[in-house]
Amino acid sequence: MEALTLLGQGFSVALTLQNLLWCLLGCTLGTAIGVLPGVGPALTIALLLPATAKLDPTGALIMFAGIYYGGMFGGSTTAILLNTPGESASIVTALEGNQMAKRGRAGPALATAAIGSCVAGTIATLLLTLLAPVVVDLALKFGPAEYFALMVLAFTTVSTVLGASALRGFAGLFLGLAIGLVGIDAITAQPRFAMGVPELLDGIDVVIVAVGLFAVGETLYLAAYQGNRTETVEKLSGSIWMSGADWARSWKAWLRGTAIGFPFGSIPAGGAEIPTFLSYAAEKKLSKHPEEFGKGAIEGVAGPEAANNASSTGSLVPLLTLGLPTSATAAIILAAFQQFGLQPGPTLFSSQPDLVWGLIASLYIGNVMLLVLNLPMVGLWVRLLTIPRPLLYGGILLFATLGAYGLRQSWFDLLLLYLIGVVGCIMRRHDFPIAPVIIGLILGPLAEQQFRRALSISQGDMSVFVTHPISATLLGVAALVVVVPWGLWWFRRDRTK
Amino acid sequence: MSGRTGQLAVSLALLAFGVALAVGTWFLPNTTGYAQVGPRLFPGLIAGGTILFGVLLVTQALLTGFKNTPESSDPTIEGASVNWPAVAWLSAGGMAQMVLIAHLGFILTSTVVFFAAARAFGSRRPLRDLLLGFVLATVVYFLFTRALTLSLPWGSLMPGEF
Repeated sequence: MEALTLLGQGFSVALTLQNLLWCLLGCTLGTAIGVLPGVGPALTIALLLPATAKLDPTGALIMFAGIYYGGMFGGSTTAILLNTPGESASIVTALEGNQMAKRGRAGPALATAAIGSCVAGTIATLLLTLLAPVVVDLALKFGPAEYFALMVLAFTTVSTVLGASALRGFAGLFLGLAIGLVGIDAITAQPRFAMGVPELLDGIDVVIVAVGLFAVGETLYLAAYQGNRTETVEKLSGSIWMSGADWARSWKAWLRGTAIGFPFGSIPAGGAEIPTFLSYAAEKKLSKHPEEFGKGAIEGVAGPEAANNASSTGSLVPLLTLGLPTSATAAIILAAFQQFGLQPGPTLFSSQPDLVWGLIASLYIGNVMLLVLNLPMVGLWVRLLTIPRPLLYGGILLFATLGAYGLRQSWFDLLLLYLIGVVGCIMRRHDFPIAPVIIGLILGPLAEQQFRRALSISQGDMSVFVTHPISATLLGVAALVVVVPWGLWWFRRDRTK
Repeated sequence: MSGRTGQLAVSLALLAFGVALAVGTWFLPNTTGYAQVGPRLFPGLIAGGTILFGVLLVTQALLTGFKNTPESSDPTIEGASVNWPAVAWLSAGGMAQMVLIAHLGFILTSTVVFFAAARAFGSRRPLRDLLLGFVLATVVYFLFTRALTLSLPWGSLMPGEF
């Protein structure tokens, strides 16, 4: 019950007027960028990093958390009305949601998504509250070897899971790890890969990489390959409220979605996409109206939306307790902590209890705010979808400059931004996932620190990673994540011959 | 460039990048001291990994082509040609800003970027785009430099000083 006392203390931080306003601002921004195609929470938080460096860390992080899960709420609106998922975790929502909208049931689809997200988010936050202290106790027993093994596991899962091909996932990961090497080595103060360029001695900032890949790369790609494709926005007609039958069919799907989503988020299994697919499959199997699937079944919206929110809240467990990000957005939030000189992990819970528990308390408040922001005001958000693409991407590039140049007023950063944008465009063209690059970039330097610390303790003996039982287990799981899919592929290939 | 040629080019680029990393690592001075492992070991591992996945991707591009790409489900992308004028507009906007931002400031150069991007996406209303870009850039400039603590350049050649 110690957790509840700490949570109470957290609420006293989160309920101050200033922090409530940060939370509201984050939720509003998050919803807006979730609705807008082409802008996601990872990009938005990255853009705001330079501008928030001198603010109070608690307020800034509460705002970033609001953007993080607000984006999930807003993403469903785009998926339902436009059939273009704003976030990859909303792909499944688009399947049934857009069908409902085409049949004049956009209102109930948006309602079940928003209420389901709120229910799932609240339950998941409760689980986070109870689970976090337990993981912290466990994590305090971890040494450098265990941390390194944990990071290797996170690297392998995000590379194999977040994208269509493990091979391209790993290519992205190593690109990110390599970018993370540039700059002065933290332990020996030795410059590495700076090629004599003074601007590179500080390393390549995560803001430049994230904004370059997500904003500039995406804009270049769309301009180069898709030009002026037009999309149709479904009309929001009729009542937005759900009927009794809609409620009856939705609530179980919300709970099942939460049960599937939270565990997936809280283990380093990479992203919110898989639980949404699992939830969709489960609802289809359990539904009394399987014939409606593909034609607008409300369970097919309720379950996956709950799953994606529960999973994104769940991924705050490894982020806060272990400092381990499992998605691109979580990685950028980790960079936000670092910007304030904070390192998420078990020690943060004892050194900054007000910040951590204030942040967790703000999640409860934010979930309610988002429900209010999304349901009655959905008409307002829908109007964002009517912004013409030339103006939308003009605006995105304007903000990209702001983030990149605001770092240290250097034209060199704008050059890097453009070059990384070109790389991002090529990666997008050949379907390389972006998230492993960001995670490799942010987690790479931390992994190297733990790696060298572990070897320094063991006097250079490499076997330390396999003689420690926890570390050996984690590395074993990481190896399985890579080997098992390959094995299955070989097995299937032999059978089809 | 067709899909397969492009895939091969990208894979070779990754491989070359890995080799460059390996060479760069080789020339790093090895100062181990008390730490047992110096600044070379980890970069060496990353270079090795990059080369490994570069080789695997080159092999895949040559033998079968990349697996599970958007092309395999949506063949219309395969033949899609690059809209070079759009890329040129975007690049020109970016380059102009890079060169001019310190002198003409954030507001004017961002207006140019906004205009160039709108043009790249097919807008044919230059006056509206310039005006909207200018208004947005001005609002953003004062919001971020006044309400938040970001510093953005006013421009050394601009009249006045804000």
